[in-house]
Amino acid sequence: MKAKKKVVTSGDVRITAYKPTARTKRRETVRAIKSAIVPITPVSPAAQRARIETGGAAVADLGTTPVGRPTLAERAALDRIDVSVDLAPARGLRLPNPIMVASGTFGYGVEYGEVVDVQKLGGICCKGTTLRPRIGNPPPRVTETPGGMLNSIGLQNPGVAAVIEKYGPIWQGWDVPVIVNVAGESIDDYVEVVRRLDGLPGVAGIELNISCPNVGKGGLQFAIDRDAARSVTAAVRRATELPLLVKLSPNVADVRPIAKAIEDAGADAICAINTLSGLAVSPDRTRAFLGNTFGGLSGPAIKPVALRVVYEVAQVVSIPIIGIGGVTSLDDVLDFMACGAVAVQIGTAIFADPELPVHLADELRSECLRRGLESYRPLVGTALPKRAGAPSVKGVEYRP
Amino acid sequence: MRLVAAQLVESRQILPGQWLQSFHAPELATGSRAGQFVHVRTGDYSGLVLRRPFSINTADPATGTVTLHFRTVGRGTEWLTRLREGETLDMLGPLGRPFEVDPRSRNLLLIAGGLGMAGVRMLADEAVRDGRQVTILFGALDASHVYPSSLLPDEVEYVVATDDGSLGHRGYVTELLPEYEAWADQAFACGPQPMLARLARLAAGRRERLGVAKLGRKRGGGKTDPAGSVAARRKAFLQVSMEQTMGCAVGACLGCAVMGVDGPLRVCREGPVFAADEIAWEPVS
Ligand SMILES: Cc1cc2nc3c(=O)[nH]c(=O)nc-3n(C[C@H](O)[C@H](O)[C@H](O)COP(=O)(O)O)c2cc1C
Ligand code: FES
Repeated sequence: MKAKKKVVTSGDVRITAYKPTARTKRRETVRAIKSAIVPITPVSPAAQRARIETGGAAVADLGTTPVGRPTLAERAALDRIDVSVDLAPARGLRLPNPIMVASGTFGYGVEYGEVVDVQKLGGICCKGTTLRPRIGNPPPRVTETPGGMLNSIGLQNPGVAAVIEKYGPIWQGWDVPVIVNVAGESIDDYVEVVRRLDGLPGVAGIELNISCPNVGKGGLQFAIDRDAARSVTAAVRRATELPLLVKLSPNVADVRPIAKAIEDAGADAICAINTLSGLAVSPDRTRAFLGNTFGGLSGPAIKPVALRVVYEVAQVVSIPIIGIGGVTSLDDVLDFMACGAVAVQIGTAIFADPELPVHLADELRSECLRRGLESYRPLVGTALPKRAGAPSVKGVEYRP
Repeated sequence: MRLVAAQLVESRQILPGQWLQSFHAPELATGSRAGQFVHVRTGDYSGLVLRRPFSINTADPATGTVTLHFRTVGRGTEWLTRLREGETLDMLGPLGRPFEVDPRSRNLLLIAGGLGMAGVRMLADEAVRDGRQVTILFGALDASHVYPSSLLPDEVEYVVATDDGSLGHRGYVTELLPEYEAWADQAFACGPQPMLARLARLAAGRRERLGVAKLGRKRGGGKTDPAGSVAARRKAFLQVSMEQTMGCAVGACLGCAVMGVDGPLRVCREGPVFAADEIAWEPVS
């Protein structure tokens, strides 16, 4: 076969090449490095953290620090530490550890399969599931923001029937508890989805996403309306004996009466928080960046808000609380626990570090060992006010 | 797909604001196909929470290296340019579906707009290796943004268009398509969405204009392959590599959707390469 010669339609294209200085010198360095390349060892969590804390300065350590493997005795001591937790003591929703993955960031648990050992997770909250299939919002749907990201997926999902058919059998074979995140536009929607999930092997619990517009109430979100939150929780409660988690929205003036109403309506646990409403502008500033205009803010940027909500809710309810929002490290996990959370969910941080949830479960064990604790329970609620009696739920305190 | 520690071997600015970096990552170098991408973690200094997707520009199994070609557009890419040789980068990959070349195609037309060269560059290597004829049509703003021919395999024909005519054809690269559409068995494009939309419209009318039989039609066959299948893509005249902002890059978050004719498609999973007729193109102005 006759190869075509490289031709350029006009001029010498090489004049356009931007010539870096000291190219030959660089070449020599490159050659030296190439010959010095050593097999890459796994990166220890400590090196990863060092890299984050030093803003990348420690990046050269990556790949050279071997994972500090615990000795057999250390391993045995770690294994004796009980990090399991029951999120629904009345019905039974025992997680092997309190580090879960948040809805919408981990698909149906299968997508990260080759990278993450899902069996080592505390629990999986799957993508929001609705009665009928939804095609979601117009693109673009995600964008990075300072210390976080905005998303407007619009609850794209194939509908509950397809989810059950496709993933039910897979979940059934897993030890890790799968909690199905349920969304709807009316109470009947929620109830119908939950009915279909009830009794299905492989479904360990339900997480109600009530940050959805309630069509029956003119599009007002269930999550911001105490009566609607109460009604939907109560209706779902009647429809299933599955452990029931309800996920709060932070986009409300006072979250406490809503949390209390949800507890009274029979929820087994409360998850806090869902994303904060936000907006990003397109690069040319002629419109909003996201196809849906508004998006939900998540990531480290929302952690203080999430901590505040957990802190407030912990003082008005007695059911377990699962903290969500900006968890990227063991310190974040411990912060949420100090504010009253018994477990956490990790969302956005998975995108950067898919192995983070599994590592954090190990780090939590090590932390307990270091502090001489047999379980992490003494770490829960340590930052809550020490006085007796819950503060007023009337919202009279200073709120900026 | 796996997490790979890729060690920087060489980094240089090949055009103003555009960098070519070479990494030692044998798993990626041997396991990747043209069209696939990696999701790169940046140093998390004050909160870059997302990885950055980059096309695998070239992959060389012999030396175990892959290259990435990118433009500095923000803090993440700027951080990348400051990476020093010998340092490692956390890459997730290879991800996505590759270009599908029909085994019978002899003449491949690669069409790239600006940074889109990174999307089709590796296909040139694969095609040359497989003994196919390759022509690259490349469009840029002006001569100073034209991809250096010295970085292309010797065997390819390289045709340039610039908006201001400072090098090659004056005008859009899409205007060069009619000249090559009869010669080409298949075309593969990467670049800005309006360019791809224009190409898709041109490609849709090609069979009528040329009066050619549908590539890959079987005798007596009325059977059509499901949209998005490897077989259907192989038969498509035009395949495009799409870009979208991403979260997970593994199909979990649905953040990278583009609108397809049958509903949303995930660029990271069903793509980034699509047959042009899978996409619901926005009307071109
Ligand atoms: C891309 C994306 C999709 C999400 N989808 C859902 C969803 O379907 N249902 C839901 O209850 N929460 C959803 N969330 C919210 C997360 O579950 C979580 O509450 C939030 O992101 C805060 O946690 P993080 O800061 O760790 O990400 C989504 C978040 C992201 C980033
Ligand atoms: S980026 Fe998450 S599905 Fe494609």
